[in-house]
Amino acid sequence: MIFSGDINAASLARDGRREFYGMAALCLPSFILVFILLILPIGWLFWMSLFNADGAFSAENYVRLFDSTYTSTLVTTFQVGFLVTVISVVLGYPLAYMLSQLPPRLAGLCTIFVVLPFWTSTLVRTYAWMLLLQRKGIINSALISLGLIADPIRMVNNMTGTVIGMVHIMLPFLVLPLYGVMKSISPDYVRAAANLGAGPTRAFWTIFLPQSLPGLTAGMLLVFVLCLGFYVTPALLGGGRVIMWSMMIDSSIRLYANWGAASALGVALLVMTFCVLWLVNRLFGLKRLYGESR
Amino acid sequence: MISGKRHGQLVSLLALGLVTGFASTAAMAEDSITVTSYGGTYQEAESKAMFQPAAKELGITIKEDNLADGLPDVRLQVQGHAVKWDVVELSAEECVRGTQEGLFEKLDYSVIDPSGIDKKLVADNWIGVTFYAVVLAYNKSGKLGENGPKTWADFWDVTKFPGARTLGNYATESLTLAAMADGTPPDKVYPIDLDKAFKKLEEIKPHVTSWWSSGGQVMNLLKDDEVDMGSIWNGRANTLVKSGAPISYTVSGGVLNADCLVIPKGAKNVTLAQKAIAKFISPELQANLPKYSANGPANLKAFDTGKLTAEEAADVISSPQNIKKQVILDFNWWAPLLPDVQKRWQAFLQE
Amino acid sequence: MQIETKSLAEVPSPPPGGDRGKPMSQRTGDMRSQPLTIKNVAKAYGQLKVLDDVNLDVGSGEFLTLLGASGSGKTTLLMVIAGFARPDSGAVMVGGTDIVRTPAHKRNMGMVFQSYALFPHMNVAANVGYPLRLRGAGRVEIADRVARALDLVQLGHLGERRIDQLSGGQRQRIALARAIVFEPRILLMDEPLSALDKKLREHMQIEIRRLHEKLGMTTIYVTHDQREALTMSDRIAIMDRGRIVQIDEPRRLYERPASRFVADFIGESSFLPIIVEAGIARFGDLVLKTGGRLDTAPRQLLVLRPEKLEILGSEQAPGLNVLSGILTELIYQGESFLCQIALGEGHTVVVRGPTRRDTLAGLPELGGSMRLGLHPEDTVLVPDA
Repeated sequence: MIFSGDINAASLARDGRREFYGMAALCLPSFILVFILLILPIGWLFWMSLFNADGAFSAENYVRLFDSTYTSTLVTTFQVGFLVTVISVVLGYPLAYMLSQLPPRLAGLCTIFVVLPFWTSTLVRTYAWMLLLQRKGIINSALISLGLIADPIRMVNNMTGTVIGMVHIMLPFLVLPLYGVMKSISPDYVRAAANLGAGPTRAFWTIFLPQSLPGLTAGMLLVFVLCLGFYVTPALLGGGRVIMWSMMIDSSIRLYANWGAASALGVALLVMTFCVLWLVNRLFGLKRLYGESR
Repeated sequence: MISGKRHGQLVSLLALGLVTGFASTAAMAEDSITVTSYGGTYQEAESKAMFQPAAKELGITIKEDNLADGLPDVRLQVQGHAVKWDVVELSAEECVRGTQEGLFEKLDYSVIDPSGIDKKLVADNWIGVTFYAVVLAYNKSGKLGENGPKTWADFWDVTKFPGARTLGNYATESLTLAAMADGTPPDKVYPIDLDKAFKKLEEIKPHVTSWWSSGGQVMNLLKDDEVDMGSIWNGRANTLVKSGAPISYTVSGGVLNADCLVIPKGAKNVTLAQKAIAKFISPELQANLPKYSANGPANLKAFDTGKLTAEEAADVISSPQNIKKQVILDFNWWAPLLPDVQKRWQAFLQE
Repeated sequence: MQIETKSLAEVPSPPPGGDRGKPMSQRTGDMRSQPLTIKNVAKAYGQLKVLDDVNLDVGSGEFLTLLGASGSGKTTLLMVIAGFARPDSGAVMVGGTDIVRTPAHKRNMGMVFQSYALFPHMNVAANVGYPLRLRGAGRVEIADRVARALDLVQLGHLGERRIDQLSGGQRQRIALARAIVFEPRILLMDEPLSALDKKLREHMQIEIRRLHEKLGMTTIYVTHDQREALTMSDRIAIMDRGRIVQIDEPRRLYERPASRFVADFIGESSFLPIIVEAGIARFGDLVLKTGGRLDTAPRQLLVLRPEKLEILGSEQAPGLNVLSGILTELIYQGESFLCQIALGEGHTVVVRGPTRRDTLAGLPELGGSMRLGLHPEDTVLVPDA
């Protein structure tokens, strides 16, 4: 008995090992891919940022980031990110709330409308905004013909246009994670609150909102981080007057072929993104936002 | 009559056979080259005016390719030691930068005859091929009607000519025209007092509602009446007028800029490329250009070939009578200043 | 406890609805609880009648259970009472006032949800204190009342715990504490024990029952578990397809089901067809002794509970109704066994007996004949619908 059990144990252990190596082998391609496409390039980016235009090892590329040209770009970038995030929240929260309260079939249909922008080209949408917002555009013409304003409002080729266009593109990134979390909030919670004596407003602020915060934070984070690296929309709707960090990267490469400078800008953007993530993690706890459910 | 015609047909058939026979053997012997330009209708025009006639004359095949991004494409090929192109057309500014980066072969001026091309557009590594200009345009449907700005001094006069303006997000072009803002005549513009030019731009900046960075963009800005006036490339302005948009533009005070030809370093057929460039810029082929394009010949001898009538020449941006009213961007002057100017330009836009 | 001390003779007397509540209320001396009356409440989703003219009187301090299969309308009825669902018509009266238009948060009813609905972003004390904060109670008063409520459910030491650190049973008690801490006039419970395992569930049944006797709150309890209903309730309302089909005390409901549906739903039953003629009920040739009550309907069903049948030997059994048949199946279940007996003409009955040595020894082999005795008091007839 004991003897045959030992033989059995060895073969069972062998099976277990085989299973483990099998799984490891299946995961290997993705590990290699991540290494080649993510870890290596980031390392390379960092390495290149340490060389100046003449190929000499120097911190020049980083010292330059403290020039007023770059710092003011940084301020603009964060300003745009902040504005877009705040406006997305103001518009997106009620939208996500409505979606989460609709009956499933209707919610599915409405979600398609929210996601639709994902499927249309950013470029096309940005040009469309140009037509809507410009001086003789549809919105200004309508407002003037209604007698609401006498002179056209400047809504494009400036910060306003940039923010409007970006909010449109970013909204789904806020709404979808938020909708997911809101949908997972059982209606029993709000009912329980009502049952215990909370009116609709009170129940929302004390029960629903706190529980939707993980989704809200995740969405805001996504929007803000995406804004930091955004290029197309500010380039087109900013009229050359809203200069974001990404445009500096672009001009470093296209105009000056200065890979070192561009790399330093890229590294700086990465570091800033990590700083934002770190801050959010400190304040809210990222683990609660992703993966771990309640 | 009949027999004569038949006879003529026979001769031309024979001639055709001979020519094509020659051409094909020549092509096989001499191989082929690849010429790359900006693509679209512009490159089609160049192809008809210069590239294909040159191929015929040289008895070679010219393959054509399009630029995706400009200088970065060349940079990628040269630095990657995988040069596919033999002759590339780039903007003058890109040629200057590319030269500074050492991306081009030297041009052989024993093969290429640069006479007839303005000295400002002849350099060791590049040579001008076509002219275009940044001109002043305005929308006639605005308050000003037909009485829009005619000079850059007018453009800077915001009380007499109120309205939204646009200027190109191109430092050299916009600084050159700013140098004319106080009425300086075109031939006195260079050397430019950069401090003064930046100050002038600073003055007009509050009225510049957008800084355009592509031809399509500035066309839309003017056509949709998003701005009342602005600088625009003459080819684009011409297209707008032809399409019936209420746009008026004036060549006077234009800033002439050029596209230039280069041979990427490490090109496979350098010798043949030199010969092809020589043909492209020859007065005979340059004179074909106005028939197909709004860009003008860089070789001013083209106007002496008799291919263009006086009326036709009047419409060409680089004709003798037009070139007098404009200023040619002097990239040999700009070259050493470029990195600093670019930095200053960025900072200026940022403020 | 109450029920078991009652004599069997008391069972048949029909108590008017709500009467059972009154002694309960007086027993605890609690004046806060109030009677609840449902009048002609109806609700339909399209063609589907979820509630079909429901009428119900719940006495002050009474523990009433709504029992039914899923889809019977019991939860909807609870939602109507709590104010989460609006009925198409009808009235919900509390203490004589119609509250059908009062929003849920002004109804002052405590509710324990099936999911407990404890707020995950608050700790235990904050959860329990929530209704008190809403009512503007002071910090000290809240702390005091929360402590008392937690003591009541024997979890006084868990105030600072996060909800996700609690076991299922603890959550259940906290939910209960939160529902009663503000002393609501009516307590509603929606299958509060369904998520617990069997042992814990049975323990909590008794605990909730004890708590109810202590506080005397009018309680509406929803469950699909008949044993739970029988254990806990003063009265049980059985619901089927949006209607209350019978409402009675647990014992009467079990002993005297009014219909085949109720007999089938509560406990196990075999049914035999009965013909009634001239005041005499018979199963085939057998004339049944019925203990005095007999409906005049010509076709009825005899309800046979497995444990009410007595396995007879060869002895005479005067006073009993005697059925005989063939033993076709014997299933051993530990504390008891089940026999399936074929009576002929396709009729079968199931008999349960204790697994005592002598009872088992009296059983024939499979295929052998058996005699079964049924007391006239246990001879229950229901209409053959």
